[in-house]
Amino acid sequence: MSVPLTVLVMIGVGSPALLFLLLGAASLLNRPLPERVTGPLAASLLTVACAALVAAFVVHGMTQSGAELLSYGTWSTAHEGGIAIEFLVDRMSLAFAALSTVIAGVVSAFSNRYLHREPGYNRYFVLLAMFVTGMLLVALAGNVAVLFIGWEFVGLSSALLVAFFHERPAAVSNAFRVLSVYRISDAAMLSAAVLLRHLAGTDSLMLLFGGQAGVVGLTASNATLIAILLIVAVACKSALLPFSSWLPRAMEGPTPSSAVYYGSLSIHAGCFLLLRAAPLLEQAPAARVVAGVLGALTALFAGITTRVQSDVKSSLAYASLTQVGIIVFEIAIGWYTIAFLHLAGHACFRLLQFLSAPNILHDLHGLKDATGDHASLVDPELAVLRAGRPRRRIFLIALERGFLDTFLDRLVVEPFTGMARFLTRLDTWLCEVVSAQRTAFRRRGSE
Amino acid sequence: MKSAAPWCAGLVTLPMLVIGSSYFHVDVERLRRLAVMAAIAMLLAALVIPLSPSLRNAAILTSTQSWLPGGGDIVRTDTFSSALLPFAAGLWLLTVAVTPRATLDRGWVRRTALVTLLTVASFLTENALVLLVLSIVSMWTFLSALVEHHQRRAVATYLGLSTVLFAVGVALLVSPGTERFETAAMWLIVIAALIRKGIFPFHAWVPEVFDHGRLGPAILFNAPQVGAYMTVVLIVPRASPEMLRVIALLALGTAVYGAALALVQKSARRACGYLFMSQSALVMAGLDCTSVTALAGGLLVWLSAGLAFAGLARCVLVLEARRGRLDLTTHHGGYERMPLLAISFLIMGLACTGFPGTVGFVGQELLVDGAVEVFPVMGYAVVIASALTGLAILRMYFSLFCGRPDVRAHPSLQLGLRPRETRTFLALVAALICLGLAPRPLVDSRFEASSEILSRRTLP
Repeated sequence: MSVPLTVLVMIGVGSPALLFLLLGAASLLNRPLPERVTGPLAASLLTVACAALVAAFVVHGMTQSGAELLSYGTWSTAHEGGIAIEFLVDRMSLAFAALSTVIAGVVSAFSNRYLHREPGYNRYFVLLAMFVTGMLLVALAGNVAVLFIGWEFVGLSSALLVAFFHERPAAVSNAFRVLSVYRISDAAMLSAAVLLRHLAGTDSLMLLFGGQAGVVGLTASNATLIAILLIVAVACKSALLPFSSWLPRAMEGPTPSSAVYYGSLSIHAGCFLLLRAAPLLEQAPAARVVAGVLGALTALFAGITTRVQSDVKSSLAYASLTQVGIIVFEIAIGWYTIAFLHLAGHACFRLLQFLSAPNILHDLHGLKDATGDHASLVDPELAVLRAGRPRRRIFLIALERGFLDTFLDRLVVEPFTGMARFLTRLDTWLCEVVSAQRTAFRRRGSE
Repeated sequence: MKSAAPWCAGLVTLPMLVIGSSYFHVDVERLRRLAVMAAIAMLLAALVIPLSPSLRNAAILTSTQSWLPGGGDIVRTDTFSSALLPFAAGLWLLTVAVTPRATLDRGWVRRTALVTLLTVASFLTENALVLLVLSIVSMWTFLSALVEHHQRRAVATYLGLSTVLFAVGVALLVSPGTERFETAAMWLIVIAALIRKGIFPFHAWVPEVFDHGRLGPAILFNAPQVGAYMTVVLIVPRASPEMLRVIALLALGTAVYGAALALVQKSARRACGYLFMSQSALVMAGLDCTSVTALAGGLLVWLSAGLAFAGLARCVLVLEARRGRLDLTTHHGGYERMPLLAISFLIMGLACTGFPGTVGFVGQELLVDGAVEVFPVMGYAVVIASALTGLAILRMYFSLFCGRPDVRAHPSLQLGLRPRETRTFLALVAALICLGLAPRPLVDSRFEASSEILSRRTLP
C-alpha cells in the first residue's frame, strides 16, 4: 500500500467530512457561522479535497495499474459483523471522486452568491457538505458498509434540500415523496449488502468490484438476486422507471442543489454503482437484461416527457433522465468506458445548463418586457405531437408524466394507508373492548 | 473500588433521597433541581460500574436458595446489566430536566424517582421472585400516574394479566414437578413478557397509553424495557429453540407493524406509541435470535433506541407544552424559532432508525446481520421496519417543524427552549453522535455480554 495515496485519499474524504462536522456543530449549538466565514471555508475545504483527489488520481496512475484496497482500521468492532473503514481506489473511483469534488466546489462557489442572505444559507451548506461526503464514500467505498453509509448520506441530504424552503407546504410534501422512494432504495441496498455478506461470506467490494466475483463463491442465481436488488436501489436513486415520478417533485429545492443532485451527481450515483458492479452484472445475464430494458424504457419515456414540460427545471431534469437511461443501457450492453465518459461529460454539461437556467430565464423575461413580444406557447415539436389521435395520447401521457404518480398512489400508497388505518381502528376498538369487559366483570362481581 | 456494594447502594439511595424530600414542603422547582442533581450524581456513579472491571462482575447479595429461577444472586452486577444502570439514570435525568413546569408537582417528581429506583433495582437482580415483586410495585406506580379511568382500566387489564401470568409461571417453575410443568411455566413467562413489551397480538395498550395518557410516565415506564430484561434473565437461558423462534418471529412482525402504523397516524403521541412498539420489538427480536451477533445488536439497539426514543418523545412533550396537542395532518412550522429542538428531534429520530453517524447504526447493522443469519427470509423484516421508521420520523419532523404556521405567535411570546432543556437535549444529541462516531467500547461490551448470556443457555 502506498503511503502518499493513503494520506491523499484520507485528506480527500476527510475535508468535506470536516466541513460537515464544523458547520453541523455550529448549527446544532445555534451559533451558525457568518456567511463571510461559511462560504470561504466551504470553498477552501472543497478545494483541498479536490486537489488531494486529483493528486491521488495522478499518483495512482503513475504507480499502480489495478485496484487497491486502502484500509484505515476497524470502526465499530473487531468481532464478526464489524465495520472496517476501507476505500477501494482505481482509476474509475478516483476519477469519479475527483469529478464530484470539482462539481461540488463549483456549486459551492455559485451557491455562496445565489443564496446570499437566504435564511437557510448555513443549513444549505451543512447539507451540501453532507452530500459531498456521501458521494465520496459511494465513489471510494471498499466494503458494503461504507457504501451504505454514503448512500444514506446522499439520500437524506437530498430530501432535506428538496424541503429547503420549508415554509412552502408543497416543498415539504414533495420532499416526503422523494424520501419515500429513497427509503426503498436504502432498503434494497441494505438487503443486497446483507445478502452479499451471507452468501459470499465477505463484504469487501474488492472481491466484487475488483473483478473477482467468480472467486467469492457466488452462484449465478445468487449473483442475479444481489444484482437485482442493486438495480432496484439504483432505479430508485436514479429515477429510472417505474420510480421516475419523484424527479420533477425534487425540483422544489434551490437551483444549485437541483443542479448538483439531479443534474450532475446524485442522479448519476446509481449509474456509477452499476459501473462498479459490472463484474457482478456479468455473472448475472438476467439482471443485465433487466437493467438494459429499464434504461431503454426510461430514456424513451424521459425523452418524450422532457419535450412537454412547462418549466425549465422539470424539462432539464427529464433531459438528464434521458441520458441516465442511455448510460444504464450502455452499461447493460457492456460499453463500460463509453458509459463512464458519457456520465462524466453529461454531469458537467447538465450542471452548466442548470446553473445558467435562472440567468437565461431572467434575460428572456427582460427581453420580452423590452420588446413586448411573447413567444408562441406551442413548441413546434409539441405541435407535431398534438396532431393526430395516437400522437395526442402520447402527448397526454407525456404531459401527465406517464401517470406514474397516479399508478403509485392507486397501487401502493392507498392500499397501504387504508390497511394501516383499518389496523389502527382495530387496535383502538380492542382496547375499548378490553376496558368494557373489565368494567362489566367488576359490576358482575359487585352485584 | 474493590466492592461494588457501596456503588450500588449509592445508586439506590439517590432516588430514595428525592422520594424522601418530596414529602417535605419544598418548592417544586427546588425539588426538581434536587432531582436533577441526584440524577446527574446517579449517572456518574452508574458510569463507574461498567468502566471498572472489578465492579462490572460482582455478586453482592446471594441467597441460600439457589434453586430460584434466574439464579441465587439477589443483587449482582454483570457485563450485561452494568451498561443498563447509566441508561436508567440517563432516562431519569432526561425526564426531570425536560418536563414542562405546567405538569410538574411533588407527586410527579416522587413517581419519577420511584420508577427509576424500581428500574435500577430490577437491573441489579436476576432473581425471579424479586423481579416479580418489583414488577408489581412498578405497575402500581405506573397505573397511579394515569389519569383517565377508561385508559387505566385497559392498561391495568393488560399489565395485570402480564403480572398474574408471570407470577403463575414463576410459581410453576419453582415447584417440584415434571418437565411438562416447566414448559408450561416458560410459556406463561413468555406471554407475560410479550404483553409487557407490547408485542403483537398483545400490543393494543401501548399506543393507547401514549395517545391518551400522560406521556411523561409512559416514557419513563416503557423506555427502560424491563420486559426485555426479564426476557434475557429468565427466558433466554432456559427457553427451547422453538419458543425463542416464536418470540423472535412475533417480534419481527411487530417491528414492521408498529413502524407501518406510525406512518399513518394523525396524532403525534399515537405515532410515538407505535414507534416505541416497533423499536421495542426490534430489541426483543435480537434477544431471541440465539445468535451472538443478533443478541449484541439487540442489546445495542436497546440502549440506542431507548435513549433516542425517550429524547424524541420528550421533544413532542416540549412542543405540546407550547402548542397544545399535535396533529400530524398539518404543518405546524416553527423551525426558525426552535432550530435546536428541530435538529435534536431529527438527530434523535435518525438514531432510532439506525442512521450512520449515530449510535443506532452499528446496532441496526448487527441486528440485521444476525437476524438474517437465523431467519434468512423474515430477518429482512428489520430492514423494512427500519425503512418505515425512517419515513415515519421524517413525516413527523416535516409536520412538526416545517410549513407555515396557521397562527403566527406574537414575537414577544417565548417559544424557544429554556436553558435546562437546551442543555439536556444537547447532551443527549452529543451522546448519540459521540457513541456513534466511536462505538467500539460499547459494541465490544455488548458482544461480551451477549456471549455471556448465550453461554448460560442450557439448551442448544
